[in-house]
Amino acid sequence: MPDTPPNFHAPASDVERSRLNVDRGAVPAPPPVLAAAALSKGYRSGDRRIEVLRGVDLTVAAGESVSIRGESGSGKSTLLHLFAGLDSPDTGMLAWEGRPALPPEHRAAFLGLVFQSFYLIPELDALGNVLMASRILHPPGGAERERAQELLQRVGLAERGHHLPAQLSGGERQRAAIARALINRPRLLLADEPTGNLDEKTGDSVIELLLGLCAETQTALVLVTHNAAHAAKTGRQLFLHNGVLG
Amino acid sequence: MPWYLYLALKQLFPTGRRFPFFTAISVMGVALGVMVLVVVTSVMGGFGSEIRRMIVETQGEVQIKAQNPIDDYSAAIRLLDAQPDVAAATPISEGGVLVEHSKHVAYSFIQGMDLATVDSVFQLAKYIYEGSLDNLDDDSVILSSQLAAALAANVGDRIEVYSPLLIESLKSDTVVLPREVRVVALMEIGHQQLDSSRMYGTMRFVQGIYGLGHSVHGINVRLKPGTDEDAAAARLNAVLPGTLRAFSWQDSFQEFLWVLGLEKGMIFFLLLIIVVVAAFSVMSSLLISVVRKTREIGLLGALGGRPRQVAACFCAQGFIIGLSGTVLGLALGFALLAVRNDIVLGLARATQREEVLKRFYQFSQLPAHTLPGDVVEIVVFTLVISTLAGLIPAWRAARLKPVEALRNE
Repeated sequence: MPDTPPNFHAPASDVERSRLNVDRGAVPAPPPVLAAAALSKGYRSGDRRIEVLRGVDLTVAAGESVSIRGESGSGKSTLLHLFAGLDSPDTGMLAWEGRPALPPEHRAAFLGLVFQSFYLIPELDALGNVLMASRILHPPGGAERERAQELLQRVGLAERGHHLPAQLSGGERQRAAIARALINRPRLLLADEPTGNLDEKTGDSVIELLLGLCAETQTALVLVTHNAAHAAKTGRQLFLHNGVLG
Repeated sequence: MPWYLYLALKQLFPTGRRFPFFTAISVMGVALGVMVLVVVTSVMGGFGSEIRRMIVETQGEVQIKAQNPIDDYSAAIRLLDAQPDVAAATPISEGGVLVEHSKHVAYSFIQGMDLATVDSVFQLAKYIYEGSLDNLDDDSVILSSQLAAALAANVGDRIEVYSPLLIESLKSDTVVLPREVRVVALMEIGHQQLDSSRMYGTMRFVQGIYGLGHSVHGINVRLKPGTDEDAAAARLNAVLPGTLRAFSWQDSFQEFLWVLGLEKGMIFFLLLIIVVVAAFSVMSSLLISVVRKTREIGLLGALGGRPRQVAACFCAQGFIIGLSGTVLGLALGFALLAVRNDIVLGLARATQREEVLKRFYQFSQLPAHTLPGDVVEIVVFTLVISTLAGLIPAWRAARLKPVEALRNE
């Protein structure tokens, strides 16, 4: 473990480092999949500065599911982007399994992402979309194709693998997006309002699927949602209010 | 295949989906530019090649000339025959004459040939379409097709030839009658310049009307196949007496060939503008694609794609459009070249200007000769320009931050 990792979101106090469990040397217990300490993020809007996140702390263990609820504009998506390493916090520290957030090409191997708007590539069929996440790591071989088919079967799209996103329903698209998020056997899955564009019944089934798959594969899940019922199904429920996670 | 190349191909040619309209338009733009470049450079090359063929077939690759008529040309021919580069040599006498038949008068360029050796340099017989070379003697001539038409003369007719010597005689108050000769054959080389005014006779006949005695004006030399003409001319100059000088056909037509090359180069670069315009169309559609696919680009970044790989995806699209356009353009270009004569003649017939076309363009058929170097040049320029067209969209795509792109609703 390097003393000063290259893209570690510094600065951090000794207390924060201790909380992150990043530089204690030999530690018997495995580090948490996700560890965030004192994350804060603000934006400038004209002359004003808006503090979106204020000292967010969170650790998520392997296989654990955590939900984050909050009002619209409370900074839930911003927080998820920080967890995904897509954005940098103004202050605070973030670690993935005790290591700093990794460079982009390692992101695909470590975490899976599910978005409200699915973000499937319209030119690729469902199978192609699932394999795309794998393709970014390396050209897919037989094993990856087999796993993609397996995942599609698991999410109920076994017969729809060669259908383009435009030919799929909203629920089917999100199922394909979940399969894509899991193709690389990620340690952490971040889902940003995955049922936001779905009707209640479809949304329920998608959440059931997501939680079931994460539990099966011991993938840690951070679920951002407005839906209290969906949040209640996770192992731990958190609420983001005024930039503070509690 | 790296993911960015795979995605570039999929974005341009989505499987099982509707006709990729934007791609087709971009590819067609490039293809049209390439097609026009191939056709025009080939036709220009064809004109050059026809001129070379015409020159070399009628006068050999090298000509031996002197300031004054060559007296002892037999010795010069013996010397030439002994050279390793030389396949054959034949003396010539040539000059302008006036010809009259049935009150039709025409200016003609007459060439006197040594019938014993001419065939080894200039296979006149293969251009004869009426009459026979075998009937040629010192009192007869062979007329080119358009000269015969201008004189309204046919095989068997008698025509009168007025030489410059006759005009000289008039100055000294001596009356010399024009030479009356028979037309024994009509010929057509396929080049308007030669077919409009050429006339061929025996060496003795031309020596007679020019008062040359036993001298000749020059010697045409046929080189062995594959011999470099300029190098051969230089080697011949090293062995020929000082009064004689060897000129390769390129030497003799140096300025003409330079103008031809300049024209070809200028036309190439002017037509390349079509490819540049097509490249702007490629750039425009790729830029639209970057805007339309902002969230997908964000997703690729979120999935772990690096900015340079995202850039490579769009650059590759420019390259693939360029490559597809080049392949299609080459195919269309060669197809058009294959039917060029039908098209040109069809147009000429439709406008009833077939004869005008022949007279104006000098060739009875639109020539085409595609040089591999020209094709390589077209392909390289097109691919470079198309790939460059993808650079700006690629740069814009690479600059998109995943987190901002994903927020773009």
